[in-house]
Amino acid sequence: MNLKYLKKIRVIVSLLFFVVITIMIINPQKNFPQDIIIFFTSLQLVPSILKTFFYIGFSTLGLIFVLVISLLFGRVYCSSICPLGTFQDIIIYISRKIKKKKKYEYQKPNYLFHYSFTILLFSGVLLGFTSLLNIFEPYSIYSRTITNLVEPGFILINNIIASLLEKISIYNLFNIPLRNTNALIFFLSSFLLVVIVYLSYYHGRLFCNSFCPAGAILGLISRTSILKIAINTKTCTECGACEKVCKANCIDSETKKINYPACISCFNCLKVCPTDAVIYNKTKYLELKVNLSETPRRNFLKSAMMPVIGMLVTEINQLEKNQVEKSNYFKIKKLPISPPGSQSIKHFSNLCTACHLCVSACPTQVLYPTFFEYGLGGILQPSMNYTASYCNYDCTICCNICPTGAILPQNQENKKLIQIGKAEFYKYDCVVVAKEKECAACSEHCPTKAVYMVPYKGNLKIPELNNDICIGCGACEHACPTTPRKAIYIIPNAVHQKAKKPEIKKQEQIEIPEQFPF
Amino acid sequence: MKRREFLKTTYKISALFGAGFVLGNLDDLLFAQETNYDLIAIKGGEPDVMFDIGIEALGGMKKFINKGQKVVIKPNIGWDTVPERAANTNPKLVARIIEHCYNAGAKEVYVLDHTCDEWQRCYKNSGIEKAAKDTKAKVVPANSESYYQEIEIPQGKVLKKTKEHEIILSSDIFINVPVLKNHGGTTLTIAMKNLMGNVWDRRYWHRNDLHQCIADFATYRKPTLNIVDAYRVMKTNGPRGVSTDDVTLMKSQLISTDIVAVDTAATKLFGLNPNDIRYINIAAEMKIGRKDIENLNIKRITV
Repeated sequence: MNLKYLKKIRVIVSLLFFVVITIMIINPQKNFPQDIIIFFTSLQLVPSILKTFFYIGFSTLGLIFVLVISLLFGRVYCSSICPLGTFQDIIIYISRKIKKKKKYEYQKPNYLFHYSFTILLFSGVLLGFTSLLNIFEPYSIYSRTITNLVEPGFILINNIIASLLEKISIYNLFNIPLRNTNALIFFLSSFLLVVIVYLSYYHGRLFCNSFCPAGAILGLISRTSILKIAINTKTCTECGACEKVCKANCIDSETKKINYPACISCFNCLKVCPTDAVIYNKTKYLELKVNLSETPRRNFLKSAMMPVIGMLVTEINQLEKNQVEKSNYFKIKKLPISPPGSQSIKHFSNLCTACHLCVSACPTQVLYPTFFEYGLGGILQPSMNYTASYCNYDCTICCNICPTGAILPQNQENKKLIQIGKAEFYKYDCVVVAKEKECAACSEHCPTKAVYMVPYKGNLKIPELNNDICIGCGACEHACPTTPRKAIYIIPNAVHQKAKKPEIKKQEQIEIPEQFPF
Repeated sequence: MKRREFLKTTYKISALFGAGFVLGNLDDLLFAQETNYDLIAIKGGEPDVMFDIGIEALGGMKKFINKGQKVVIKPNIGWDTVPERAANTNPKLVARIIEHCYNAGAKEVYVLDHTCDEWQRCYKNSGIEKAAKDTKAKVVPANSESYYQEIEIPQGKVLKKTKEHEIILSSDIFINVPVLKNHGGTTLTIAMKNLMGNVWDRRYWHRNDLHQCIADFATYRKPTLNIVDAYRVMKTNGPRGVSTDDVTLMKSQLISTDIVAVDTAATKLFGLNPNDIRYINIAAEMKIGRKDIENLNIKRITV
């Protein structure tokens, strides 16, 4: 049977995933179909594992699908679904175009390191320290790189074209405001990109077989996968062609053995074997000679799940309640406000792998990546930035697309009642008090009228708060014109609350004037 | 009054002397005599029907737009809400105005607003984007500072310069189409307040005497027409509103070239005293338009 076409299929599928995921993340005009985003992210292994513990939905199906295909075909995930995998393959492809004689050599895999490292990543999550996972989770690395390094480039190009078209009164393309970039985020994203490019250029899929948590999990599963690559000892001429193209360094052509946990099912070996001695077949026909001395699978999976279970029982730390004597604006600004649907700052920070998909999808651009706002354990995780914008009352995009369940899916009615923070009003900074002039920008923007105007001096009206119905969307804070401090601002709720529904005073339905009053 | 009489006489004399050949067709001139109203108030119809009748009473769109002119229509599209919530101008009215502009010979009609909520959602959910595209108008984004150019307002007392959208600056005809509604800061938002959507930095206005800034900006450019949509009127919780319960069906519309007169009339229609709205008082004092609408020639129409 000719199996050389398998590589072609793998390349086509991987490019399809790669291109769609990339466009989905860049999404500059914010109109990429949500369902497609949900579909493609649900197939990302580590995010779906995390999400499944809190929400049974598409991601659960995606997770089952990935596990099933891994049991059937080995680590095909790593060479087709994973965008970082395909990205590395592209670098590897380029490296081999540049260095024609480049060849890979069998390397004894360091399982011990890979597995202990993966356990370390997940234990971090257990202890509320997600930063390590944030740095090494492959989908998040890719998504973050695109959001922070590639998307701004696209926006710049879009804006240049838009401004040229604007000159001839064509407004089909529009100017997209650029997010302010945090230098640390930019630096870390670039640094990781350079590391990934370096590793893949010189060492093939070393990252996937040494650091990647998804690689470790799928490696374990693929040991028992039904279809496996194998070398037919009878027809093999020991030419070593397969070993030379094996970017996962898992083929030992001398002993004719393959390290299954490291094999990413890229099928390059099938393609190059001159005698078709490399086969892809059912396990029972093969002689399994794999050393399985490392951590038993069950223990490993257990330890991988423990952190997530742990999160369920982790106590939630209440934020210190601030006494308001003078404006706390700058003090409050140091605390993160987690997006609606994230339940609590703790939940969000524990589960968010900082893929920044919500950041790039947020239509109002209120979600901003932060570096240290969530502390050392939650680097790069996004928070609500009310200086930049405010949360749209009817929008649920971030809730619906979050791949890890850090933000859990919400319907519109629920989302409108999630209180992520409360407004606080410091009247001495308010235009009405300081300048004795009308303003009401805060009340104007408030979608629930939690900020409403009451009589002050003469005809002047001053804002008053009804925090029972405040949802902490930040519209008031964003609109407040005072500088450098805002007179009204949102204090985060460490644990999100449920707001009351706005009270409704029904107006006369019809009031067509009989006579004009003038 | 004097101005109108003067114009009337001029028209008669010019008609007599056959100057109609220079100024346009004689019928139009005679028609114009009957349509020389300061304000048209219409009630009882659908927004588009009321506009048809109102603009006809005012002498038709041709009176305001010459062939080949570039028209900008500025509705209120400030909020991400549906038309039933009446936070934005009625899309049916916007569509009909666009049609009248094209029928009058406009070369291109543009529609925009610097929104408060996220602009794409506002444009879409207000129904105005679709209404404008269906009637072949161009929908212009106003979400980025790069679209705005600095202008000076010589008569401004507090607001002496600001940044206005370039498409408005380059337009021949500017049509202001506000929706009448309650407003937390300025009691009501009507025609003058609607012009806040022409500029980039509104926080400056809010910081520095909002009412004075509203009047100051109205000195900069007199809209060719002010068409106040009072079909659905948000009576409370404005300007964004909380639900359709804030809204009353008034089925009314006001049209005028005088922005102060139209605001005054709309305030009365809403049931408030124009003397209580400070920007109307300031604008009348600054002679931007007339607040004494009892002395104006008003055409009242019931559909």
